[in-house]
Amino acid sequence: MSATKGQSQPEPDHHAPPQLETPSLWQLMMAFLKIGVTSFGGASRPMMHRESVEANKWLSDRDFIAGFALAQVLPGANPVNLALYVGLRARGVPGAAIAVLGMVLPAFCVILLMGYAYRELIAYPATHFVLAGVAGAGVAATLATGAKMATKLDRNWMTAIIALAVFIAVGVLHISMTPVVIVAIPASLAAAWVTDKGARDGR
Amino acid sequence: MDDNRLLGLILVFAPLSILSFGGGQAIIADMQHQTVDVWGWLSANQFSDLFAISRAAPGPSTLIAALIGYQIAGIWGSIIATLAIYIPSSIVVYYATSWWQNHPDSRLKRSFERGLGPVAIGLLFAGALAIIESGPITLLMLVNLALCTAILYFTKFSPYKLVGTVALVFLGLNLVGF
Repeated sequence: MSATKGQSQPEPDHHAPPQLETPSLWQLMMAFLKIGVTSFGGASRPMMHRESVEANKWLSDRDFIAGFALAQVLPGANPVNLALYVGLRARGVPGAAIAVLGMVLPAFCVILLMGYAYRELIAYPATHFVLAGVAGAGVAATLATGAKMATKLDRNWMTAIIALAVFIAVGVLHISMTPVVIVAIPASLAAAWVTDKGARDGR
Repeated sequence: MDDNRLLGLILVFAPLSILSFGGGQAIIADMQHQTVDVWGWLSANQFSDLFAISRAAPGPSTLIAALIGYQIAGIWGSIIATLAIYIPSSIVVYYATSWWQNHPDSRLKRSFERGLGPVAIGLLFAGALAIIESGPITLLMLVNLALCTAILYFTKFSPYKLVGTVALVFLGLNLVGF
């Protein structure tokens, strides 16, 4: 597909290998709308990789993986962050805006329809009963994700104490999240800094 | 009146956007606290319903903001809430991306990668507890929760198929008089 475009010259980019392509904003929009529509079911990451690295060469594999790590660490929904990163690398700020829009718009329309249906159906007692069951499945997804993530954390007392303290403060004592994280994040970063293994090797 | 609600949506969701480490799950507890207890826009039951819908819907879990916005202030509410939940975090991502690319592998970067984890996990479990508390706590609900958690933890069963299955099972239970 990329070969048929032949002579079109990519914009000079000092960081990127020369074979990378620069998409038009329209191409970006279409690609991310496609990802937004087909990623119902949560498979947006492989779709994004296919569109931006394999089918079109908008960024290198290495850049994509770095963006994926970044999207997870930073605040915001991971797929939306990754879309922003890809759009930003490909076409700067307008590209980022268009990629996020394409990613969110289809799901936004579906959720609006569901919100409308909820308003119409809430008069029936069965609605709340079924949704309570679905909420249980949703909480189960959160618990399973949390349990899997917890196994990847560092195994030390500090990590356990911070996670437990945040849970008790916000979940049990209902303290507002903002003051809790303003204390917990610096404490946790400091603990990670002190126990950093790479620093011993001089990195 | 409606303008006040739109402004309120921004005041609730924009700060949560910056704090949404790991996505929407980390901010569910505070979202519930704000919309139910502080602003009184929704009942705990309604919040639990909207959470269920957002989990059954496609797209990122942060889109629960659109659903809450629609419920309390119509179409404009959903648009404003969605912008408020995505723009602040996107600005952070924008600046962090530039910084990240200029600092290949540093101690600060590794500390961020490892240090945010415990906070995100604590918030995530707090969010799970908030939803459990806001719904009916009956034997049926607890069995449902335990079964679903076990299935999702030990098997590769898709969460979307599980949500669909649970909806059908509960509809069936309702028909036989539960």
